[in-house]
Amino acid sequence: MKTKAMIAEVKRWLENCTVDIFLGYKMVLNHPLPHCFGKENIEEVDDLIIGPARYSLEKIATHIAAAKPDIKIGMMARDCNQRALNVLLIWNQLQPEHVQTVNVNCCPSSLKKHGDCSYLEPQPPGAYKQRVGVDNRLSSQEVERFSPPERLSRWMYEFQKCIKCYGCRNICPVCFCKECSLEHKELIGTGTLPPEAPIFHLIRAIHMAGRCIDCGLCEDACPVDIPLRSLYRKVNEIVATVFDYETGSSPDQSPLNILGETVTLEPKPI
Amino acid sequence: MTIKRITFLQELLNFLGLGGRVHLAWISSAEAQKFVQVVTDFTEKIRALGPNPLQQRQHIRGLHYEDKGDDSRSQAMA
Repeated sequence: MKTKAMIAEVKRWLENCTVDIFLGYKMVLNHPLPHCFGKENIEEVDDLIIGPARYSLEKIATHIAAAKPDIKIGMMARDCNQRALNVLLIWNQLQPEHVQTVNVNCCPSSLKKHGDCSYLEPQPPGAYKQRVGVDNRLSSQEVERFSPPERLSRWMYEFQKCIKCYGCRNICPVCFCKECSLEHKELIGTGTLPPEAPIFHLIRAIHMAGRCIDCGLCEDACPVDIPLRSLYRKVNEIVATVFDYETGSSPDQSPLNILGETVTLEPKPI
Repeated sequence: MTIKRITFLQELLNFLGLGGRVHLAWISSAEAQKFVQVVTDFTEKIRALGPNPLQQRQHIRGLHYEDKGDDSRSQAMA
């Protein structure tokens, strides 16, 4: 959708109360920042932009919905936002009747054909990282070509760089737990650096099973360039093969949300 | 469900190069022989794999840490 058509559509939505607020992007001091457009300042909608900027707008939507459950939220959505919304609806973080989306094209990209974002296409790493680490451009099959001890050594090189900034978790559109295991006193502990590798990273990887929609924002946010996307892609591959569940596109509840088989027997009277 | 979850864990650990160190078996309390067999086999398998590489100092290729016992990092790993 072109910007002009989108501005008109959003104005219409706000005016006839299809949505109460609209989440999009606005240029602030030459930076495209996420912005919440409302009916009170409807002329602001003229500043709405479509650009390469990406942020987990659906995460902002869940925070708003948690505070005001009845609010109707409109948002700009790319393919990755749609997948994230799917997951959030499945996990009851948002009500489908309270969310409206304006679909926009994926980041302007020559790579659209394989569903990737140009914005997140990793840069070729330096020679040292290529020698001892995991190249962010490698697919999981290419990583598996290394022998197991070499794989461990390469992943440990990546994990030991971690400064435990929690950037991957904070940007993640599908990280919504009230209590995060990554801040659990016994599991991880807070206040110590560096984090225990690879436990810290494995806990997050396990928790991404059935949730990660491969938006790549975590890897983009990571200040030390850990190839998180390859790791979580592998997690999703395993979920697809073992549980036969396609995260993000499947309308069913995640198999990992079920604690066990459903009880079929009625409890007997004592 | 358990077997799927454990398969998931095994596959993920294998991806990181720590494969073969998790085993799942169903053994009834009446199956003492099976219990002995499973534990013996798994012990043999683990012995062949050697000590947990995460308990040892990480020798990242081309990166060699000084091997000092009082290194706080090694204590964190242990």
